Amino acid sequence: MGKDAEISLNERNFVKEGLKNGFRLNGRSLDEMRRPIINIDKNEYGFVEVEFGKTKLAVRVSCEIVKPYEDRPFEGIFTISTEISPMASPMFENGKNSDDEVLISRFIEKAVSRSNALDLESLCIIAGEKVWHIRADVNYLSYDGGLIDATCIGVMTALQHFKKPDVTMKGTDIIVHDFDQRQPVPLIILHVPICITYSFFNPVDREENIKGDANLEIAIMDADRSEELVRDGFLVLTLNKNRELIQISKNGGLPIDGLALIELTQRAHDRCQELTEHIKALLQADEKERYKNMNLHLLEVGASR
Amino acid sequence: MSSLLSITRPTKRDSRSNDYDSDVDMKDAMSEYQDEGSKDNTSVVTPGELVTEDPTWMKGHGTYSLENQTYSSVAGNVLRLNRLLSVIPIRGRYEAETGDYIIGRITEVGQKRWKVDIGCKQDAILMLGSVNLPGGILRRKSESDELQMRNFLKEGDLLNAEVQSVYSNGQAALHTRSLRYGKLRNGVLLKVPSSLIIRQKNHSWNLPGNVSVIIGVNGFIWLSKTSSTSTAPSVNASTNSAQSALASKGGYKPGEGSVSITRLEEESSWEIYSDKNDEISASIRGTISRYHNVIKAMSACELGITEKRICMGYDASMMYADTSMLIEREAQEIICQDIIDSEKMRGD
Amino acid sequence: MSRLELYSPEGLRVDGRRWNELRRFDCKINTHPAFDGSSYVEQGNSKVICMVRGPMEPPMRSQVNQTQAVIEMNLNIASFSTLQRRKRSKNDKRMIEMKTTLERTFEQSVMSHLYPRTLIEVNVQVLAQDGAVLATMTNAITLALIDAGVAMYDYVSAVSVGIHDQTPLLDLNVLEENDMSCLTIGVVGKSEKLAMLLLEDKMPLDKLENALAVAIAGGHRIRDLMDDEVRSHGNQRVSKLTS
Repeated sequence: MGKDAEISLNERNFVKEGLKNGFRLNGRSLDEMRRPIINIDKNEYGFVEVEFGKTKLAVRVSCEIVKPYEDRPFEGIFTISTEISPMASPMFENGKNSDDEVLISRFIEKAVSRSNALDLESLCIIAGEKVWHIRADVNYLSYDGGLIDATCIGVMTALQHFKKPDVTMKGTDIIVHDFDQRQPVPLIILHVPICITYSFFNPVDREENIKGDANLEIAIMDADRSEELVRDGFLVLTLNKNRELIQISKNGGLPIDGLALIELTQRAHDRCQELTEHIKALLQADEKERYKNMNLHLLEVGASR
Repeated sequence: MSSLLSITRPTKRDSRSNDYDSDVDMKDAMSEYQDEGSKDNTSVVTPGELVTEDPTWMKGHGTYSLENQTYSSVAGNVLRLNRLLSVIPIRGRYEAETGDYIIGRITEVGQKRWKVDIGCKQDAILMLGSVNLPGGILRRKSESDELQMRNFLKEGDLLNAEVQSVYSNGQAALHTRSLRYGKLRNGVLLKVPSSLIIRQKNHSWNLPGNVSVIIGVNGFIWLSKTSSTSTAPSVNASTNSAQSALASKGGYKPGEGSVSITRLEEESSWEIYSDKNDEISASIRGTISRYHNVIKAMSACELGITEKRICMGYDASMMYADTSMLIEREAQEIICQDIIDSEKMRGD
Repeated sequence: MSRLELYSPEGLRVDGRRWNELRRFDCKINTHPAFDGSSYVEQGNSKVICMVRGPMEPPMRSQVNQTQAVIEMNLNIASFSTLQRRKRSKNDKRMIEMKTTLERTFEQSVMSHLYPRTLIEVNVQVLAQDGAVLATMTNAITLALIDAGVAMYDYVSAVSVGIHDQTPLLDLNVLEENDMSCLTIGVVGKSEKLAMLLLEDKMPLDKLENALAVAIAGGHRIRDLMDDEVRSHGNQRVSKLTS
């Protein structure tokens, strides 16, 4: 990471010392996540803002019709762009992707695209000719740790919320219907992956960590900025509520006992379920609201008659 | 967890297992390895291996400890010196020690100092104040000297020097304040792993065939035409007489100048910083390249390098008329086997 | 999903191994004497060369760290290493991820604080890929670093494991890797501490413990095999160095 990524030794020790005694500077307990505030846009489909404490990001999902890849004629295309601009924090430099930024985009890609969260085959219009290209653009507005978790929630909420225009075929031509003409269709989401990041701290020497049996390493959920700068390693878990692990990424860092890691995955699963429910509830509320605003009473009356 | 499983052992390749089967077979004993009991199986320890549980040992280089246990951090031999326990890595970069006779290459000319690549972890420092400058040893280093540092030694120049001191961060400081040290000319540099060099009393020799060798402790070896004013002892005579010759001619004794100050003044002319090579005849060039290839063969076969072995290797290499044949792996092995055999014959 | 029978009812895999068997593991150290440390590792048909230079004076000022050594990995995957010839650029996201992972793994196990203001340059060359490339690379780097005499807390040995139906299969080859979820771990020494843990495809949460147990045991086995090579090489060297 670029400038401003450094944290004074004093502050570093303060954060560590606090963690050793089980306190976090932000007042949360060790495995407490910040409650995400998800704002779903009232007017458009597929625009979601997520606030994760002071971390803030906006996700916009859009679509267009393109020619599919030659080797996959039956599948649509899904891309996620996660470029972090210096707007989020001066530690991110413009145009220069640091290793951490690449890692973040890889994590999101593996969590969402690679796990087939979005059914790509349903995006096909004419095989080998025309498919939908769905793209999710993530804009980071403010950074205070937990980018991966927040991005994943944002992208998954936006995808579930997004609706693409309906198309009909007329011979070899296709007609894209306006939202006013026909009801737009939602995307087919096969499962909802949720990312949970744990940050590890070593309260003792490295000798103890490698040879000792005490396993004193501290794992905290959803680190904020200062904790992310101090941490000795981290683990990204992606799971869904069907008790499936989608990704585990512990890219080096502090060695952690295998059993401890298994315990973390179990705890992460509980958190994942909560979050999935939370997102679901929000989306349903939004759906209801929209339905009400569309004034379809007349149709309903007609249908019941 | 592991006791549940019996993972079958992938087969060993046979090329390596000739003489060292004994070590290979003890692999299962290794896992139950507890303390010094099974130590006599092997002298080599590997990273993460428990060396001792005795808390009275002081922990030296190549070890780390947790509570009472001391573990090795490198692959190497355990060295117990009084109460100090350290592990000497089998391979690894050269570590400078005060008094080492080394050869280096200038990498950077800086303010009042040169940086010298000596194959160490960090470049060594040669201060302007620790070299002989034209005009004699007692001369003060002036500002004009500082400005023309590049005229004395510039990037890429080779020199031999002595390690004056080693700073706490591992960086070495050199000096060339003796006539035996200074810029190198008329020869060729050869780099071998520093672990192959055996520290000896003397590191520069005149070899048969009018060739001189300087064996730097850092694994840099300089082969050159013997200069007419050389002070290095000849090895034509037997070792004993060579040693006495060395003593009489004023061999290496730390802190004791071998040359009188007056002579030093004479010789510390600009000539010692000259870049011009002398005339070297084709036959000497041939001899130098033969020595070069002999030493290369020894390094390829991981044989410790001493002046005596170089001479023996040189004799053994005579069966190849063409020096370029010596770089064949087969020839290299034959030469090294010859060296080992003739050493056995002499009984040392 | 596939027509291949990956695990027969008799308990044999496509290449005739049982579920808990490693592939042929072959390693050599000091293959390139011109480098400070080098190694060559074959895990099945995956072949990797690793060469280490350093600790040495960093060529660039930006690489100087006043408190510890900087470890720089250069990964190169030969375009002929897979069946389809494909050039992989160095800036490929996957390559950067692997590079970062390896750098951060070894930052923890190398005693880098002993070598302040130096650079340890690790060059990895993948010659053939037959599954578990990251694991093979990790093992090669461990050996090369040990060969270079760099102080390390312990070996890092890596191995992959997959889940087929209910059975964990150790050390997947490329056929198996394509058809099942694959977990790569890097285990530190003989402990159960994991320096590296990567899973990229779906795996049932409850299978994780089982898979990890198999993988850790496999990692320990590989550590032993690497240890043998280091020891036999060391003894060979010592016997020649008598003066």
